[in-house]
Amino acid sequence: MSEVTSRPEIYREIMGAERFGIVQKPLTVFETLYNQGWLRKLFVLIVLAALWEFYARWLNNELLVPTFSATVQAMARGIASGLLILRALASIKVLLIGYATGVAVAAILTFVAVNTRIGTDFLETMTAMFNPLPAIALLPLAMIWFGLGVGSLVFVLVHSVLWAVALNTHAGFRGVSNTHRMVGQNYGLGGIRFAASILIPAAFPSILAGLKIGWAFAWRTLIAAELVFGATSGNGGLGWFIFEAKNQLEIPDVFAGLLTIILIGLFVENVIFRLIEALTVQRWGMQS
Amino acid sequence: MTASIESQPLLQVEGVTLQYKTRQHLITATYRVDFNVLQSDRFVLLGPSGCGKSTLLKSIGGYLRPTEGEIRLKGRPVLKPGPDRMMVFQEFDQLLPWKTVVQNVMFPLRKTGRAKNDADARAKAMAYIEKVNLTKFADSYPHMLSGGMKQRVAIARGMAMEPDILLMDEPFAALDALTRVRMQDELLGLWDEVKFTVIFVTHSIDEAVKIGNRILLLSPHPGQVKAELNSVPRGESGSARGVELQRNIHDMLFADEAKEDDHV
Repeated sequence: MSEVTSRPEIYREIMGAERFGIVQKPLTVFETLYNQGWLRKLFVLIVLAALWEFYARWLNNELLVPTFSATVQAMARGIASGLLILRALASIKVLLIGYATGVAVAAILTFVAVNTRIGTDFLETMTAMFNPLPAIALLPLAMIWFGLGVGSLVFVLVHSVLWAVALNTHAGFRGVSNTHRMVGQNYGLGGIRFAASILIPAAFPSILAGLKIGWAFAWRTLIAAELVFGATSGNGGLGWFIFEAKNQLEIPDVFAGLLTIILIGLFVENVIFRLIEALTVQRWGMQS
Repeated sequence: MTASIESQPLLQVEGVTLQYKTRQHLITATYRVDFNVLQSDRFVLLGPSGCGKSTLLKSIGGYLRPTEGEIRLKGRPVLKPGPDRMMVFQEFDQLLPWKTVVQNVMFPLRKTGRAKNDADARAKAMAYIEKVNLTKFADSYPHMLSGGMKQRVAIARGMAMEPDILLMDEPFAALDALTRVRMQDELLGLWDEVKFTVIFVTHSIDEAVKIGNRILLLSPHPGQVKAELNSVPRGESGSARGVELQRNIHDMLFADEAKEDDHV
């Protein structure tokens, strides 16, 4: 006991930070560039394009794999003539109609599902039944019901978007922290006001994931459907563009059509969805 | 007229039995608890874990209906959650992560119509944010704040609503000891300014003596009222009287265990 108390107490003066060199130092140029996500991704894309170019030159068979440069030229021709843009716009228009309808129906279904038990059972059963069913498998039926036209396309699009979005949204709602729910109730919120101001923002990471998956599903369903019947009064989309080019053995055009689809996909994912993420879930600290 | 309101307690809890179901059991959390809370009380619910104090607070908040007995606020039975009883939770995630500090405080003001427009709500929110010394962080998002700062925002949010009662569920329990002491002092400072009514749940005896002017002691499994005590005056929790009160409470809370030991 006496040993402990006999130990001297120690007091020290604190040094100023300037006395011991680096506290904070800027990163090197390479480190700064490497921290830019879009630069890293651009690098990956350039490497892929280079590999494609080399392989196609080595193969030297334009009917099997045209070179990257030939594809880009075909694309430039398509854009210059306006045909590719016209086809892309036709696809995007149908896509947006189908996507918006699918998301709206999903919103209604999930709202009913979070408020009533039978709604939950309905949603869970429907998603279990229809989510694994490829939307394109419904196309023959849709063609009988709605004819060869936008109606059938929208029908299969809604089917492809609806279940993915509803499933993710519902899972997100169920995962909302109990404290957040109690906070909302504390404010006297209920029904739609509660869903809009508490559930949707709190579940936004999963909702966004659902929207992304739904978007991808919608794209592939649309292109596949257009390959089956693209021409609606001579106004087909990208799928039809690819189909026509293949029939005329314009293989660089086929690749140009595919590349357009890829580019639109990259744009939506890396610009639009990334922007939404930056403005919402990242800003709120729900996603790093 | 005013005399009758003043003579009536702000909150009356009468014979409240609370039960909840888990998957296997029906659990009685509290059994026939009675107490009254007066205007400007700093009323502490104190007891060991499992005495149902948090459950009791939730039922005052309106999240849970008593199976027996009644809770009345200003003479009207409490049936559901509402902004006249603002909760401050223990959890740091009680702030909405998609709103900044000032938006978090404004949001209930707007939603409940306590502020007519955004400008009013902002002015009021900023006034209370200043009271908790967070003016600099008004436009930060919750994930950028420390635990103590988040709890301060939650307190500012609760107070800005000017509820009849502020309900605090172990709000400082998840904080480190140094921050906790500071938060306790700040809460008392706020009370000196505003004289709000607060029910404060804690399992710490010295926190109860320091914060409360009236302390309700609950026994565990299920919670029953063991005593309702007056605390020592403000700022005397460290005095001889305060220490003695702490010891008395300690003895009362652990009396059961001592008896059990005797039987062995």
